[in-house]
Parts: sequence; structure tokens; C-alpha cells
Amino acid sequence: MLGFILRRFLNLIPVFIGATMLTFLVIQAAPGNFLDERKLDVRTTAATIERLERQFGLDKSLPEQYIRWLGNFVTGNLGISFDSNIAVWDLIAPKIANSAMLVFGELILLYLIAVPIGIYGAIRQYSLGDKVISLISYFFIGFPSFFLALLIIFALVSFKLQTGTFLLPVGGMTSENFDSLSFIGKFLDILWHIMAPMLALLIGDIAGLSRTFRAQMLEFLNQDFVRTARAKGLAERTVIYKHTLRNALTPFIAGIGGLLPAILSGAGFIEVVFNWPGLTPVFLEAINSQDIYVLLSTTAVSLVLLVIGNLISDFLLAVVDPRIRYF
Amino acid sequence: MSTSSLNPDAREGMAPYAKSRTQVVWEQFRKHQLALFGGMILLAMYIGTIFSPFISPYGLAEYSTSNITRFHPPTRVHFFDESGRLTAPFVYATKQDLDPVTFAQTFIDQKDIKCPVQFMMPRPDQPYNLFFLIPTNIRLFGVSQPCNIFIMGADLYGRDVFSRLWYGAAVSLTIGIFAVTLSTTLGLIFGGIAGYYGGWVDNVIMRLVEIIGAIPSLFLLLTLTSVLPQDLDPILVFYGIIFLLGFIGWGGLARTVRSQISALRESDMVQAATSLGAKEARIIGIHMLPITFSLLIVNLSLGIPSAILAESGLSFLGKGIREPYSSWGSMINQAQEGGFASIIYRPWMLIPGFFIVLAVLCWQFLGDGLRDAFDPRKRQ
Repeated sequence: MLGFILRRFLNLIPVFIGATMLTFLVIQAAPGNFLDERKLDVRTTAATIERLERQFGLDKSLPEQYIRWLGNFVTGNLGISFDSNIAVWDLIAPKIANSAMLVFGELILLYLIAVPIGIYGAIRQYSLGDKVISLISYFFIGFPSFFLALLIIFALVSFKLQTGTFLLPVGGMTSENFDSLSFIGKFLDILWHIMAPMLALLIGDIAGLSRTFRAQMLEFLNQDFVRTARAKGLAERTVIYKHTLRNALTPFIAGIGGLLPAILSGAGFIEVVFNWPGLTPVFLEAINSQDIYVLLSTTAVSLVLLVIGNLISDFLLAVVDPRIRYF
Repeated sequence: MSTSSLNPDAREGMAPYAKSRTQVVWEQFRKHQLALFGGMILLAMYIGTIFSPFISPYGLAEYSTSNITRFHPPTRVHFFDESGRLTAPFVYATKQDLDPVTFAQTFIDQKDIKCPVQFMMPRPDQPYNLFFLIPTNIRLFGVSQPCNIFIMGADLYGRDVFSRLWYGAAVSLTIGIFAVTLSTTLGLIFGGIAGYYGGWVDNVIMRLVEIIGAIPSLFLLLTLTSVLPQDLDPILVFYGIIFLLGFIGWGGLARTVRSQISALRESDMVQAATSLGAKEARIIGIHMLPITFSLLIVNLSLGIPSAILAESGLSFLGKGIREPYSSWGSMINQAQEGGFASIIYRPWMLIPGFFIVLAVLCWQFLGDGLRDAFDPRKRQ
């Protein structure tokens, strides 16, 4: 087991280095750097610029800068944000928590809702219900997530104008009086704020996942071992839930590990539209100000999560599929 | 006994020869109602795009500096005059006003100034080249000053949303095709090389695919867009975005092509070609790649909707198509201008979103239809 984990880690080192190097090069290839804006400011003296350059290692050559960053990253130092002048980890950690809260909750609901819909679509294939669900999910797959989010905001604000009450808040993560709330009050407040962005995420994702799950179920329902199971006279419930569902679920369970990095970037546009203080807005800001270490370290953290996620996937796959043994 | 009586097809009065693959695929495709429907709508949209300057009453970035029309709501076209009699369509001139209660900016009709809607209206001040070739200034419809005809309202700068929607269609609808063509070509070349040669070349290419796939695609795309300089010519930005979308999209196809090609490399027919002395380029180009053809078509038509979505997202975040050009994504961006709940005052800014949905949906239908038509297991 340990040997297997070690092997996987060793295999992923070149990918980690390659991906961070690619990101580093792309950021460097972008014209200008974060000091340009400071240089335009008349109050900044040449000495200040030089000091800043030295402080952030911008006076070094590119390979040196990269290696310095890599060395720091491995020892747990993610660098300093130019823009806010605090450690990158302190900047992104609370945002990662916010993003994770949104995506993690969404994923649980997603699987709880999409899998039963997929099963229904497969066992009642071409029934009226299946056709209606198929059509609706087809429709929502075509929606850009930010557009869906805008429509939800539009509906909620219209509702507010019509009736005078807020069904759900349409932006931010907390109310203005958040600090004065009790612990349970804070929890409920965030829960209330998370509903609208989560709904926006869910609608699109349910449409996608239920369709893939339906296809996966159908793939197995048409196979010989299912026919054999029926021929043996097994109850239809056993055939579906024990023989088909278990097989159909395998790739999805294995895929759970792959969702780990999605916890970082998954909510993407939704966070921007709903003003949710997650990682994507920070990333966007960092791009605008060319905050190298925020960009690089955020990408690197998501790569680390990808590695861990892949390991979890392998492990889960071995648990659900007795044919697979790594150890 | 003649051969035809042995052939069941011939007995039913059909041609006694086997159908070609193209015929089979086409017949299957025609049975797919949704795919046909999608194809038809797409055809209409693309034809509209070719005629976009003709359909649009206004130019791409046309707005008046004297008659401010910022977030002008959609103009009502009247078909009945004050006495209720049916007349030729006309619009009223509008005047900007402040709502006394909310201080929101409104536009009120000036009933004394009436402008008839003119068809095939010449606009000498806004000439354009139809199909990029024929210089003309005829617009399908329009009204003369001081009236405005904004059938889908006006945007932040007071420009006509309907016109910009059609100009934007040229960007939103073609960027997907170009980007996916590029990523398919890259996937085919790199996948083909990796599968055919194997060894270290294969290793390098596949690691590259892994690296690109490992970075969250939204982050990668956003980082890549920062390479395009702020002062770059907006036309070059358009090409840049195509390149970026193509660059991040080729990995999946390269993987599939690689596995198909490396399986084919060991097949009898390739060995026969090799022993007959065929050159490598010929073996790859004539014997191997055509087998991946159906894969390519499906990849193209299912890749286009995701490229359209990616472009609209980038432009929505202000990282894609830049002013003065419009794309459907960048137009929606203005819906939240000045406070994110302000869409309520200008719902017409959301209209381009429905066009994105329609285009993506139709490409999806078309792609599904093609995939089913090429898949022998799904034939009916």
C-alpha cells in the first residue's frame, strides 16, 4: 500500500513541476509586471521600486525565481501577495474555505438528486417522465452558469419588488449584522446566503450528471449478466439495485477523488456573479494586478489537491471494485 | 437463378448493392428529429450572421453623443395610431427623464414626434461591406433622427442591443468553430504522432496532455488571457482567444486518437502496407487517420458548444472579446453594471444569454445526432 502511494507520488512530480512551470512561464510572458502600476505613481521613488524588486525577488533571473518559489512552496511557504502585502496562504485560505463550503455542499446535494433521476431515466427509458426530464436537462446543459445565476438573481429581485420580502439574499456570504450573531445564528446566516448560488450550481450540474448517469445505467442494463440475472428469476429490484447500479456507480465513486480540486475552482463564475467571497474572485484580481505568487501558489495548491484526489480515487476504486488490487 | 432473387433488398425493389457508409450515416441522421431541428436553427443563425450588418439598424459602435440613450429600454413599435386605426408601423421619439420617487433614469415617449419605420433604409453615414465585399449602406429597417428604434433596448453606452447582438453573433458563433478546428487538428497531429511512434515522443506528448489537464481549466484559461496585452488590437484579441481555447482543448482527443492509432499500428492491414513499402506519412494519412474520421466529426460538433460556452464566460468576465467588438458573453457583462442587483432595471441586457443557450443547445442536438448516426450500436 505504502509502496503504491509512493509510486503514485513519484509519477505525479513531473506533472506538478511541469504544470507550475507552465503557469509561471505564462505569467512571465504576460506584458509588464505588478510594479508597472506603482512606477506610474509619482509618489513612488526609484529607491522604493528597487527595494520592492529585491523584496519579491524580481531582480533575479527567471529560473532562479521559479526555483526560489518551488523551494519555498515545498517547505510550506506560499510566498507573499504583492497586492495586499500579506502571505499568500493567509490570503487564500479563508477563500478556499468559502469556496469549499459552497462546492462541498453542492456536491452532496448533487449526488443525492442526480443519481435517483439517472436511475429513473434508465429503468423507465422513453417513458413520458424520462422524456420530460431529458428535455429539461438538455435545456439546462446549454446554460452558461453565469447566465443561470443572473436569471436567478433577476427572479429573486423581482420577487422582492413585487412582494417586499427577500426570498433569498442575492449576494455576498453574510448579512451586515453577522458579527453580532451567535454561533448558530452565524451558521444559519451563511446557510441562508448559500442557497441562491448553490441553486445556480445545482441546476446546471444535475442536468449534466443525471444524463451521464442514465447513459451509464443503460450501458449495463443491456449487458449479458443483467439478462442472466433476470433469467435466473431474480427480483427486478435485485437486478437493478444490486447488479446494475453497483456497476454503474463504480466510475462515479472513483471520480469523487477527482472532484477535490473542483472544490477550489468549481464554483467559478457563480462566485463572481453572486459576489461570493471564494477563490475565483481572488484569482481574477490577482490576474489583473499580475500578482505572481498568488496565481502560482493557487494553481499549485489545486495540483496538490489533484494528487491527493487521485489517490483517494484509486483507493475508493479498490474498495468498490474487488477486481482491482494495488496492494 | 439470378443473383437479385437471392438478395432480400432486391426483392423489395431496392437497389441490389450495399449502401455506402455515408448513405447509412445520413439515413440514420435524418431519423434524429432533434438533430435536424438543431441543424436548421443553426443554419438560420449562421445565415443571419452573414447578413448581420444588413439586419442591424445601427452600426457596431454607433451611439449619439447629443441624444444620450444609456440603457434605453426597448422601443415600442406602434401599429395603431392615436385613433386606433391600423397604420404603417411607427415609433415615438423619446426623452430622458428622472423618476421623481426613485431618481431612476427613465425615458418617456414624446407623442408629438412620430417617425415611421422605414424598410430598406439607406444610411449614408454608416456604410458597410456586405459579405466583406460589397460596399453598401442599405439597412433592413430603421428610423430617422430624432427617433431611435432599439427593439431590444440599448446598452451602457446607448448602443443598440439588437444590432450588437448580430455583430456579436459573428464572434460568438464562429469562435467555437475555429477554436475546435484548431484543437482537433492539434489533437489529431499530437495523438497520431504519440500513437504511431510511441517511445519517448509518446511519453513527452502524453505528459504534456496531463500537465494541461491537471491545471483547473478556468484558472488556466484566465492566466493565459493575461498574455494578451491590454492595448492589443481587438481583432488580434479575437484570434488570440481562438488560439487559447484551441490550446487547452486538444488533450482529450489526442488521448483517444493515440490509443486508436497505437492499436491500429499492430493491425494486419498496416503491417501489409509496411511490407509493401508504403511510407510512414502514407500509412498514417491514408490507412490510419480515416478510421478516426467519425470520432473527429463527433468531437468537432460536441466541442463547439463547450467552446462557445468558454468564450462567453471569458468575455463575461471581461477577459475575452474587447470593445468595440461585441460577443454575447461580453454583452451580458453590462447587465450587472453598477451593483449586481441592477439587472432588474435593464432585463433586456440578458437577451444575448438566450442566444447563447439556443446556439449551444442546437450544436448539442446536432452533435448527439451525428454521434448516434456514426455509432453502429445505436442504429435503428
